[in-house]
Amino acid sequence: MTINSMSFLVFFLGIAIVYYLPFLKKYQWAVLLVASYLFYFFAGTDNFIYILVTTMTTHFSARMIGRKNKQQEEWLREGKGRRTKEETAGYKARIKSEKNRIVFFDIAVNIGLLIFVKYSNFFIFNINRIVTLESNIELKALNILIPLGISYYTLQSIGYVLDVWKGKTQAEENLLKTALFVSYFPQITQGPIGRFAKLAPQLFGVHRFSWQNLSFGCQRILWGFFKKAVIADRMNSFVDEIFLHYEQHSGFTLFLGCIYFSIQAYADFSAYMDIASGYSQILGIGLEENFKRPFFSQSLAEYWRRWHITLSSWFRDYLFYPLSLSAPAVKLSRIGRKYLPARIAKLVPSVYAMFLVWFATGFWHDASWRYILWGIANGVIMISSMCLSEQFQIWKEKLHIREENKFWQFFRRLRTFLLISLLKVFPAASSTGNSLRILKKIVTDFRIELSYQAWFPGLIKNYLAYILFGLILFLMVGIKQEKEPFREYMEKKPFAFRWCLYVIILCAILSFGMFGTGLSGGFEYAQY
Amino acid sequence: MEKLMKILKELRPEIDFEKETNLIDGGILDSFDMVSLIGELNESFGIEISFDDMEPENFNSAGQIYQMILRLLNED
Repeated sequence: MTINSMSFLVFFLGIAIVYYLPFLKKYQWAVLLVASYLFYFFAGTDNFIYILVTTMTTHFSARMIGRKNKQQEEWLREGKGRRTKEETAGYKARIKSEKNRIVFFDIAVNIGLLIFVKYSNFFIFNINRIVTLESNIELKALNILIPLGISYYTLQSIGYVLDVWKGKTQAEENLLKTALFVSYFPQITQGPIGRFAKLAPQLFGVHRFSWQNLSFGCQRILWGFFKKAVIADRMNSFVDEIFLHYEQHSGFTLFLGCIYFSIQAYADFSAYMDIASGYSQILGIGLEENFKRPFFSQSLAEYWRRWHITLSSWFRDYLFYPLSLSAPAVKLSRIGRKYLPARIAKLVPSVYAMFLVWFATGFWHDASWRYILWGIANGVIMISSMCLSEQFQIWKEKLHIREENKFWQFFRRLRTFLLISLLKVFPAASSTGNSLRILKKIVTDFRIELSYQAWFPGLIKNYLAYILFGLILFLMVGIKQEKEPFREYMEKKPFAFRWCLYVIILCAILSFGMFGTGLSGGFEYAQY
Repeated sequence: MEKLMKILKELRPEIDFEKETNLIDGGILDSFDMVSLIGELNESFGIEISFDDMEPENFNSAGQIYQMILRLLNED
């Protein structure tokens, strides 16, 4: 049951009616928990154990750390003015070390589970490749189904435990409420990765039915369906065709394929977010925003602040900062100061942390070398850009380029978009070898062609018109959103204008949309 | 405070650190700025800013950064 299916709509309507029953007001969170477990149950019963283990370890680790925080607070309060600095520092260090042991246990169990279900076969495959060179021994691949949303709920749960560890968040006392935080159904499949401080009060609070939430929620779901059916799913078949039969296409067509894949992936992923956020808003629960019009970015670093925001910010807060402040980073920084120019030496901790974060980001997406290469390529470009920033500044001054110049901004946006698209060659291809072969073809066999077949191979002309209609509307909304929040802008418009637009979008979904066996196809990011 | 302002000015000369109160939440300082800033602060003030201290409320303004430095100096 995907979130864009008819069965989900029926399921959601049933849940929403029960959720807003007046006598269940105090137990709305329990209704959400039952709904989340039912949703998970429909996805398959085999993998229930994994989410249960994550829930239990998250809950008990957070509670134990929370108790240590309280114990320290009380000790400090009781002994205020009576203890020496050394005594206080010693006590704090002891509590910290106890908290560290719990947090390491929690991370080890949850990352261990994630590695076991998602990466075992990757490791087995690579070990076999090395071992079979020497002998005939071969490890058998494991037959494990990857549990729904494990990559997302694992990070969300670890983030919560780390927030309690930092003393930023109070630990939840009720196991069932922790279970809801881990499994909340609109976001379980592919995020957004929520933060406890923002999400939990909404999940556990009481919500009154609101017409505005219903109206805004429905608008957002409609917009999500439009992006999914008219743009993402319509583009899917011909984008697949380009990459599946890459040998038959020129470097030019393959480069266009990367651009199409980039647009299709954005439409697909952001459509899911719109649908999930819309459903959640009807329940009075606001999800974190995951996109901020990433294709308007002027650099790759900015793109990553605007694309899959909750993942990027998770890696920044819980991996990049700890790594850049860690002992190896400090040590590298000291070595850097001895041998490198001062400006570059200052960047050493960031470079070290960034490299590891981008390796992890690639590997998080998929257990394959092509995703690792994609992550590293992103990291290397950003590290190079960071290290060469002073040189870029000198060139800009020599060429009299002003940052506020519109043409310069347009050039930077176009350059960033083409770069992002080119990097999509790794996720778009079916294997690491193919991605490198496609990349080689783009570089060695690039000649601009004007034929329809070179630009849109295998795409029926009518379908192209539908996609272009969808993309133009998508772009117009994006341009408007850059200036002001779109829904507030729409609210100011006359009733007739608003409803005309809704009807156009609905008609476009029904007439131009691509429908699979259900209302629509699955989502690409759910596989991660 | 003077020493802190000098470090901040060197890091991002174009920002008015005396007035700005939204350095992190407003996305004015990015993660690379943060890592460079922490390196400088650790060295100049002889403190150790750790992962626990990496919170927006410690870095949103020069005043908040200064308060954090005083707290860490006091703990040492």
